Amino acid sequence: MKLSKIFIIVVAASVFFALGAGVTFAQEKMTKDEWQQQMTEYTAKRNDLKAQLQQLTKEIDDLKAQSTQKDADLKKCEDEILALVGATQADVDAFAARVDALEAKVNELSRLSNEELLARKAEIESAQSELNELRKSKISLLPRFYDRLQAIQQKIDGLRNTLASMEKFYTVGTWAKNRDCLWNISKKKDIYDNPFMWPKIWQGNRELIKDPDLIYPGWRLRIPQPGPLSADEKKAEARYWRLKHARAEKMEKAGEKPAAEKPAMK
Amino acid sequence: MQKTPRFSLVGAALLIFMSFVVLPGCTRHPSEEEMAQLNALKSEVTSLQNEISSKQQEKAALQREIAVKDGKLQQCAKDKEIVQQRLKDWK
Repeated sequence: MKLSKIFIIVVAASVFFALGAGVTFAQEKMTKDEWQQQMTEYTAKRNDLKAQLQQLTKEIDDLKAQSTQKDADLKKCEDEILALVGATQADVDAFAARVDALEAKVNELSRLSNEELLARKAEIESAQSELNELRKSKISLLPRFYDRLQAIQQKIDGLRNTLASMEKFYTVGTWAKNRDCLWNISKKKDIYDNPFMWPKIWQGNRELIKDPDLIYPGWRLRIPQPGPLSADEKKAEARYWRLKHARAEKMEKAGEKPAAEKPAMK
Repeated sequence: MQKTPRFSLVGAALLIFMSFVVLPGCTRHPSEEEMAQLNALKSEVTSLQNEISSKQQEKAALQREIAVKDGKLQQCAKDKEIVQQRLKDWK
């Protein structure tokens, strides 16, 4: 082999070795300059991050202080509202419980069928009384209750309208022309078709009829739903007859003519 | 005269070979201590980045919380005004 060929092979091998070694070294070990460069770079980065962290910590502390201040402001505002209505938090909680109960009661009544509703008519009136009581308190002016109470009133009005649409009315005519008395009205085919139901009309119109023997032409009588006499109606009827008999006996003793044996037959 | 160029060629080749092989070995490298120092610095940077990320989340949560409280405060002021107005009309 010629020397020049040996020379070329040795040079090529050197270059190959040097390149290979260079790459290996670069991967495995950095130079001092590279180390220095990275140290400078990372030190700057660390200092920058430290400054950022310090700034963030300060901002967070400020936000925490703001949050605490807002809690205090909110508490103050709520206390001022309570002072306006002259109540404590316990009063408001008790009021809320009453509103909840009333709302539940009215909702329950709203779900009833018309017949069931009629049977529980007294509960509608009791709900209205409770609502009126609640409205007497200044706590009812608080926004959290005000709208709810209005909604409850609307529901009660709705229930009352339902009842009103189910009720029949009868306008009393004259005795001379119509022979209208509670007994005769009750006997009418389109009323109860049963004269013995007259206490129902009396008790259904207690605000108007003070004495069942006295009804006047032009009165608009509410005709309650047909059905057997309730305990109250039976009691009222018994009281009526007791008084009537007592009065008759008294008149007999006095030698006067006793009154008619039927209510409102005078 | 014939030997001289032959030896000089071999010598030159060896010189080149040695320069490529030996010279890289003479490059300066950081010591283990210095490398540890660099690694510690890198870890510190990573740790700071994590801490910043966590603080940023905390800051965002606080900002949201404050926004909610601002809303409640505005509502409370409005409620107070309404109650005052209703009290004027209240019998």
